Amino acid sequence: MSSLLELRDLSVHYRTARGEATAVRSVSLELEAGQTLGLAGESGCGKSTVAMSVLRLLPRNARVEGEVLLDGEDVQGMSWGRLRAVRWAAASVVFQGAMHALNPVHRVGEQIAEPMRLHGVTGSVSALLDQVELPARAARAYPHELSGGQKQRVMIAMALACEPRLVIADEPTTALDVVVQAQVLDVLKRLVSERGIGLVMISHDLSVLASTCDRLAVMRYGQVVEEGPAREVIASPTHPHTQALAAAFPTVGDPASRHVTPSEAPSDGPVLLRASGVRVSFGATEAVAGVDLEVRAGEIVALVGQSGSGKTTLARTLLGLQRPTAGRVLFEGVGLPRSASGLRAYRRQVQLVLQDPTSALNPRHSVYEAVAEGLRIHRVPGDEAARVAEALSQAELRPPELFFPSLPHELSGGQRQRVVIAGALALGPRLLIADEPVASLDASVRGEILALLLRLRRELGLAALVITHDLGLAWTIADRVAVMYQGELVEQGTVEQVLLSPRHDYTRTLLAAVPHDQRSTRPNWTNSP
Amino acid sequence: MTAIAWQRRQAAARATWREFASQRGGLAGLIGLAVITLLAVLAPWVTDASGLDVTRVTARPWEPPSSSHWLGTDHNGRSVLLLTWWGTRISLVVGLAATVLSVLIGTVVGIAAAHFGGWVSAVLMRFTDFFLVLPSLVLAIALSTVLPRGLGTIVLAIGVTSWPATARLVRAQTLAVEARPFIERSRALGGGHGHVIGRHVLPAVLPLVFVNTTLTVASAIVAESTLSFLGLGDPTRVSWGSLLHAANMHGAVSQRAWWFLVPPGLGVVCVVLAFTLCGRALETVLNPRLKGER
Repeated sequence: MSSLLELRDLSVHYRTARGEATAVRSVSLELEAGQTLGLAGESGCGKSTVAMSVLRLLPRNARVEGEVLLDGEDVQGMSWGRLRAVRWAAASVVFQGAMHALNPVHRVGEQIAEPMRLHGVTGSVSALLDQVELPARAARAYPHELSGGQKQRVMIAMALACEPRLVIADEPTTALDVVVQAQVLDVLKRLVSERGIGLVMISHDLSVLASTCDRLAVMRYGQVVEEGPAREVIASPTHPHTQALAAAFPTVGDPASRHVTPSEAPSDGPVLLRASGVRVSFGATEAVAGVDLEVRAGEIVALVGQSGSGKTTLARTLLGLQRPTAGRVLFEGVGLPRSASGLRAYRRQVQLVLQDPTSALNPRHSVYEAVAEGLRIHRVPGDEAARVAEALSQAELRPPELFFPSLPHELSGGQRQRVVIAGALALGPRLLIADEPVASLDASVRGEILALLLRLRRELGLAALVITHDLGLAWTIADRVAVMYQGELVEQGTVEQVLLSPRHDYTRTLLAAVPHDQRSTRPNWTNSP
Repeated sequence: MTAIAWQRRQAAARATWREFASQRGGLAGLIGLAVITLLAVLAPWVTDASGLDVTRVTARPWEPPSSSHWLGTDHNGRSVLLLTWWGTRISLVVGLAATVLSVLIGTVVGIAAAHFGGWVSAVLMRFTDFFLVLPSLVLAIALSTVLPRGLGTIVLAIGVTSWPATARLVRAQTLAVEARPFIERSRALGGGHGHVIGRHVLPAVLPLVFVNTTLTVASAIVAESTLSFLGLGDPTRVSWGSLLHAANMHGAVSQRAWWFLVPPGLGVVCVVLAFTLCGRALETVLNPRLKGER
């Protein structure tokens, strides 16, 4: 009896203008029906290439070596007609980014029915929607009428349409909130156990894989560096890369992953930034509904909430990029200036670090120009090159002169984020507002950037307001946590208070939704339904 | 530091040139343009301008092409080759000047509308729409009848009527650039309108404007010929349009004087084709989305 999916010595090379690049090097994996195989790794490690090679969905410039056996049959050797029959009927894919994988001009019901029509399979769309816990009337909706989690569930329903025996899920929850992510993962887990399908799950997030997978393979540079039962791989990783990945997703409540010592946290410093009763409305919708928040000098405050909770709008308001509809923002007890020159002076005190460093840097500007931009805007006197070099070395880009002429696309994601941070540091601010500073970075780099924020606080006394959806991140570096829900702060306090003994229901829901593994004992909180 | 930036720009320019040169059509257009421009510039030195003066011609009118007059003569006995040669100058000058005017207005309006948004955008875009729906030839005819006749009027008439498309294009591109987070970062660093537009928006929009310019030149030259053909040009100067106008007025068709009609027409075709080829090639080089497989 052959297994459901077997990769034997699979290598994939891409022919590019600069010669052949190898994306996958002799990977061998096996999956039985009713099992879940996790494929972990950072961006560019070849995990998506492996997934796409199963259904021969690779671009034309790819050259495949080795065997991909689907139920004992080599996919490489299939005729075009056989391949079409196999696609979706025997194995299907849940694509990454549900927002873009659905056709915006068709109702989702039609899109779910499309593979059934193509394969001449009879089935009911409403039954499929029911399996992914969506109401039957969702079939009449257009993609833009559904939320991100609903769209992802539509994608799963679509993958199940022809009752395949193998489902490949490529980062199925990456763009989703913790709460929605937990729901989607539950749906997938239930389908595997009820219908006995085989699931290949691809993710960069070990905690997601840990909570769903039986077996786990960690990839790096196109090779599988570690493979084994998920629990073992995560509990006692042997390869340093796996260890780095595991460390990047800290467990809330685990003292080992908390990087702040109580003595470091100054709880009695002067209040640097204060928001009192801040409200921001866009037309009829109120994005921020009366927020009171304080950041003291040298303090790291985490602002936690789901997407759409108003976190980013609040951050923009605190920076003076958005005018509040009501309420006041005070910096050192003085209200934010409204004039252009007053705001410009304020910007030297409070700086912004954006989520995605790739788009936050002008692709045409060199590192030097990007860091010097603020200095030039404020016409800071003195030696520009020396200041740029200092800011870069503060952001741990050493030696700074080496990075001066580089363009953003020549740098790695972590280095780009360091350039953004250096650009902010060049102005000598006292508060950094960081909007999801590590969300778009690879796991192994996250820890470094967070360590950098902590070091800047220690050495420069730099306060930070870190906006995140990731409770683990708050646990790692923050002194205080404020939880935002539907435009309001529902709970705030020290990290230990809020994350270990949450009082508000929403905080409990958030904590319960965090994927957890069996590595450490979970802190004790009463779970609300 | 500026030396490094300068070196990088030089390297980028070289790379752009290599890519442009790899496109045969664009290269052919560029060579054609260079030859035509050279001929136009050198005309006063290479040819005898007195041949344009009707009082000093010696040849008979409507002479067919011969070894003394390669392209024959017109109704006054002037050499058609000489007339066409000199016509190049006016066509090119009017085409380029009108394009500069049109692209300038279009870029300023487009960037301003996209950057400032709100009521500024609403007013500017309705203004643009007004010019867009107006039949531009009719407007140009109206303008050149009202204003005193001359080169300036033609340039103004063409420039003022052909900018709305550029404005729309530049506005769309500016909106796309301004949505990128590095604009937000620049604002958070304290950058004002001038800084954001000068350092981030303009460099990102300019390639598109440049491409648009080469394509606008072609249509401006056609517009100039049209206006001159309709008799609205500067009567004291020779241009391709005014040659065709003269040929039409003096019955070149009934004289079967094809040599008077074909050369100016071919001139227009060649210059427009050359500019269009260059523009398309540039577009492919500067707009990565058109490069196809990448």
